[in-house]
Amino acid sequence: MRERCPSGFDVTLVSGYLDHELTQAREQQVRVHLEDCAHCRALLEELTSIREATMSTRFREPLDSQWDERPRGGVSLGARGLGWLLVIVWLIVVSGFGLWHAWVESEGLFERLIIFGGLSGAALLFLSVLLDRIPSARSDRYRGVQK
Amino acid sequence: MTQTDTGARIPSIPSESTVRLAIEGDAAAREELARSCQRAAFLFALQLVGQRDDALDLAQEAVLRLFVSLRRLDSSRPVRPYLLRIVRNLVCDRARRSRVRPVQPLATSEDGLLLEPADPDLDPEARAARREIQRLVWTVVQGLSAEHREVIALRDYLDLSYDEIATTLKIARGTVMSRLHRARQQLRRRVKSRLEGGAEVSHA
Repeated sequence: MRERCPSGFDVTLVSGYLDHELTQAREQQVRVHLEDCAHCRALLEELTSIREATMSTRFREPLDSQWDERPRGGVSLGARGLGWLLVIVWLIVVSGFGLWHAWVESEGLFERLIIFGGLSGAALLFLSVLLDRIPSARSDRYRGVQK
Repeated sequence: MTQTDTGARIPSIPSESTVRLAIEGDAAAREELARSCQRAAFLFALQLVGQRDDALDLAQEAVLRLFVSLRRLDSSRPVRPYLLRIVRNLVCDRARRSRVRPVQPLATSEDGLLLEPADPDLDPEARAARREIQRLVWTVVQGLSAEHREVIALRDYLDLSYDEIATTLKIARGTVMSRLHRARQQLRRRVKSRLEGGAEVSHA
């Protein structure tokens, strides 16, 4: 339910007047209206009281220690990203070369089964852990925060 | 150190030079900007979610996001609306994910409100009356619709200008005034009805 001024005055302007957010002309218009309108004067007085109550309310704020987590800088984040990229490329290249070398050097099916069976098992285990970790790392809210 | 208010009731607004230096990577400016933003983000989040721990989490994340995108900021424009918009978006995301009513009322005095009037010259009776009205208004604000609560929080608790509120909520300046007025009318009516025919909302 919207309350209206009996004279049809736009009461929304009373809020603007209270907040000193009106143009000079509008402010003057409200001031003149308030002189004659008891309804809008009472409204202004009550809104002023409520605003005084809100503006004087203080809130307990967190301890300084709770704010100890600081955002990392862009350089730090960039360096970390580049570092991970280099490590991943290095791992792929070295592993690929190692596997190729082992394949070429090994003789016979049995020897290859021993080497590549073990390696395949280890790789699958690593992959499964990686697949679990990537989604949780993506949704980690504090991944960009340093203690 | 105990939980306390930190001097000024409303967080200081970081100056344009502080924001510019922070963008350029100045450590002291970043620290100052972070502190100012943390307080503003926490107070706004607290008013939107009503829970201190949740508000702290949201404020941390909002400041983090602000800093991640710091280089894209225009130092000549106020940083507060941008930060508070991040807080608001995070609150909306959180409410959407959990599908719960976003606001739980704060337990007054023990868990959030410092019901001490800023004016130390008030006599004890006036102090008690002011505390009562502060508690009542806060309780009623918590029961307003999200749309009304956020505009009241931005204007009447954080003291943002209409232009800043318009930027934060992405609405026109005229809409800010009308929405704020409707919210205040709701608030005023509910406060009056809670006073149950007792003393009118008085200047304590």
